[in-house]
Amino acid sequence: MDRAKARLISRGDLLAALDRAAARKVTIMSAPAGSGKTSLLRAWADRLSQPQRLAVMQVQRDQHDAQQFWLALLDVVRQASGTTSRAEPPTATPDFNGPAMVDRVLSELAGQRGRLILVIDDLHELTSPDALAQLTRLLNNLPGDVHAVLATRRDLPLRLHQLRLAGELAEIRAADLRFTEREARELLDASGIALSEAGVALLHQRTEGWAAGLRLAAISLADHPDPERFVAEFSGSDRTVAEYLIAEMLERQPDDVKDLLLRTSLLDRVNAELADLLTGRPGSERILLELEDANAFVISLDPERTWFRYHHLFADLLRLELRRALPAEVPVLHRRAAEWFIQHGQVVDAIRHTQAAGDWRGAARLLADYSFSMTLDGNTQTIQALLQAFPQGADHPELALVHATVDLVQGRLDEAAARLAVAETYAEAAPPDRRRSLRVAIASLKLSLARRRGHFAGVLEQAKFLASPVTGRSDEDIALRSDLRAVALMNLGIVEAWSLALPDAERHLQEGAVLARNIGRPYLEVACLAQLGFASKIRPFATTRRRCHEAIALADRHGWGAEPIVAPALVTLAANLVWTGEFDEGERWLHRTEQALQTDTGPGIRLLVHIARGMLQAGRGRRHEALDEFSAAEHLRSQLAGSHALASQVTGWMLATQARVGLPGEARASLAALDDERANSGEIGNARAVICLAEGNPAAALPAVQDVLDGTAPVIGYVTLVETHLLAGLAHRELGDQRAANQAAERALTLAEPDRLVLPFVMTGSAELLEALPRHETAHAALLTDILDVVHGSSLAAQDQPPRPQTEELSPTELRVLRYLPTNLSRPEIASELSVSVNTVNTHVRNIYAKLQARDRSSAVQRARELRLLSAGLTH
Amino acid sequence: MSVHLPALDHGFMDPAAALYTIRIHGDLGATVLSAFPALVPQHLGADTVLTGPLDRSALYGVLAQVEALGLDLVEIRQLTPQRRSPEPGDNRSP
Repeated sequence: MDRAKARLISRGDLLAALDRAAARKVTIMSAPAGSGKTSLLRAWADRLSQPQRLAVMQVQRDQHDAQQFWLALLDVVRQASGTTSRAEPPTATPDFNGPAMVDRVLSELAGQRGRLILVIDDLHELTSPDALAQLTRLLNNLPGDVHAVLATRRDLPLRLHQLRLAGELAEIRAADLRFTEREARELLDASGIALSEAGVALLHQRTEGWAAGLRLAAISLADHPDPERFVAEFSGSDRTVAEYLIAEMLERQPDDVKDLLLRTSLLDRVNAELADLLTGRPGSERILLELEDANAFVISLDPERTWFRYHHLFADLLRLELRRALPAEVPVLHRRAAEWFIQHGQVVDAIRHTQAAGDWRGAARLLADYSFSMTLDGNTQTIQALLQAFPQGADHPELALVHATVDLVQGRLDEAAARLAVAETYAEAAPPDRRRSLRVAIASLKLSLARRRGHFAGVLEQAKFLASPVTGRSDEDIALRSDLRAVALMNLGIVEAWSLALPDAERHLQEGAVLARNIGRPYLEVACLAQLGFASKIRPFATTRRRCHEAIALADRHGWGAEPIVAPALVTLAANLVWTGEFDEGERWLHRTEQALQTDTGPGIRLLVHIARGMLQAGRGRRHEALDEFSAAEHLRSQLAGSHALASQVTGWMLATQARVGLPGEARASLAALDDERANSGEIGNARAVICLAEGNPAAALPAVQDVLDGTAPVIGYVTLVETHLLAGLAHRELGDQRAANQAAERALTLAEPDRLVLPFVMTGSAELLEALPRHETAHAALLTDILDVVHGSSLAAQDQPPRPQTEELSPTELRVLRYLPTNLSRPEIASELSVSVNTVNTHVRNIYAKLQARDRSSAVQRARELRLLSAGLTH
Repeated sequence: MSVHLPALDHGFMDPAAALYTIRIHGDLGATVLSAFPALVPQHLGADTVLTGPLDRSALYGVLAQVEALGLDLVEIRQLTPQRRSPEPGDNRSP
């Protein structure tokens, strides 16, 4: 039997209307199911002239998840504009930033050349109000060459008044889409159906020009022995068009086709394998392909024609018929489908079908096992929808874990804790095969909770399960445990970093990052690397910077450069730059950090931002502003549940700055209120010294820092010691002991040299101390010059600006001579320092100028600073 | 012609629900009717009238089904007003 290929007829007037509409910004096609919107769009797309590119997207059934909608839209836009090779494909993240996503889509659209037509079909399926609001903004801000076409079954709350007023909105409605009698005849002719004029008129009248009705009729008429009679009987029936014609169509199908249609109607998408499974027979592939060829109700979803879906109206009626004709089969079919989906890793579909089969316990168990991974996939809203589908009043203790997961992701920490307690009680009483996986999941959630609450102590208890290797009974099992393990490593590393257990933190975060990369969780990888930047305090500054840049680069590649997740790396980098006197660059990164933290801020990270800002202000000599920042940080610190890694630094700097702006009395009062443990830290010792100096009592300042100098007071890091030496030096200077002052200054410079710290010198106001240090008594002349430059108001050149390329590398002896260039020693003096002849020095200097493309001493020094050569000879 | 309304068998009606009639053009067959299990059908001329108690959510669920199945909605009418709070003596049938 030769089935005529269902050709989309050319509805010329409508196509012309779409062409005209495309001259404006937005076209909305709003008409009921089966009006022919999708077919019309496809016909229009087929005949578009080449220069226009097309991005077509169909909203998934019942799409309540804004993130999934936007990711699908971004994907089609990127494919259409050909940018797929450049950046990473966007992946879902646990914290979705709607406005940022819209910006991203807008910039993709703006970045492509030529005209682009964005088609969004089935927009009524988008049930997320957030997504609709975001879409409104997108449509109101489409760049010049972009035209959007929306197809929907009902009018939507998209506020496009401005577009309408400006004449930029075109509408096509049901009345426009109705087939005329002539078009009806064309449709029948295209399907090879011979029907009289009267018959066509009758058919047209009965269907009222409804596209779906005409197409359904065409299917039945195609090989009908008596078309005229068919139309007459159809006309005489009062049954609704769709019901009558679908029943007719089904009746005409061979049994195997009818069986397939009915049984697969309960799937959103079907492929040959699934169809074979549900019908219990092979051969579905052929049937599906023929169905698509024969009519417009079965549509393939990919170019290879492996996946199909049915027109929604068609599927709905088939589903009803299935329930009516084979009611006992329905739960069985759902169960079989669920098993297939689980085996193929499509968890959400599996859970939906398990629920539809009425197996609530099974669905609860699946949801409990997979909800963690689902949140990592960014499917939290889907989890909520699945939770709501459970019958009210039914008691599924496993769901407590799911609720806890959702609560945790959405920031309801107290509720999460309560539900975790319930889940734990259940887990203890659960059957042995369930107990272990539940315990692992609960432990990981508790770790997340502790980290978010700042309960750093006692968290290590939860990490015991990390000691055992990842095993599982199946691939899904292993994937799940790997997810749990990666997140646990991340949380553990974060907690350790904030408790200053830095070697452990580094180890765990590095392990977490590697695992995350292996299991394909880029989001976790970025999180681990960003925290690793923060945890790198014990490393040389260069290492910390490198790690921060690594994390930021990875985040940028995935489009997460402005997300809270990368904030630890951003703020650590900013602070790092402020430490070395690169204030302008540091300020840029601080600004970027603040932008990234607009949507979510935990107190821990905000505290860091205040410290960094305070450091910057202090570096620029703005002491009152610095005091504001340190006070804000101190306030946050006092509100944290556990003790914070940088607590003594925050308090110390706040007290010191208070003293420096002329409030030593207040500072002393706060100092007295500190408990013993805190009062004995090195940072507080420094603050005490600053207060004494401010009170004009340098003699008392020296004993204040004695503990720090002899190493008995705990310090956060060596930077505190630099400050200590400087404060001691200032005290000696006040007391008239210039030699001791010089020695103290030299010690500070020595400590500061490897990382080229500048900030402590500026913060302590040590300009005079340094200026009094004779040049020939210091081995750190270059650093000293840099510091004095900063003290006198200039910011050091940023490292990130690309320097002019160097022609040749300087030799070690040339580098040695170079270090003396910033000093005011003459060439003979330099020669005597290096124990060489003046001629040798002259030769070296000539070569240095040539290699650095410099005219004179000062430009040579400038170039050397840009190229970071002045400390090159000292570090290895 | 009296209409047997099984939902009122126990003489109890959900206080948040009201009684609605929904008139659809066409003679709804068994398949389509199975999409509205909470409503009782009546064939009146060329139309089908569905009657039953529906609270707000159920009402909009029914309307969504009408839309999804491409049915022709003629009229929707509320027969009894929605109660604000449950009161004794609610179990009178209308």
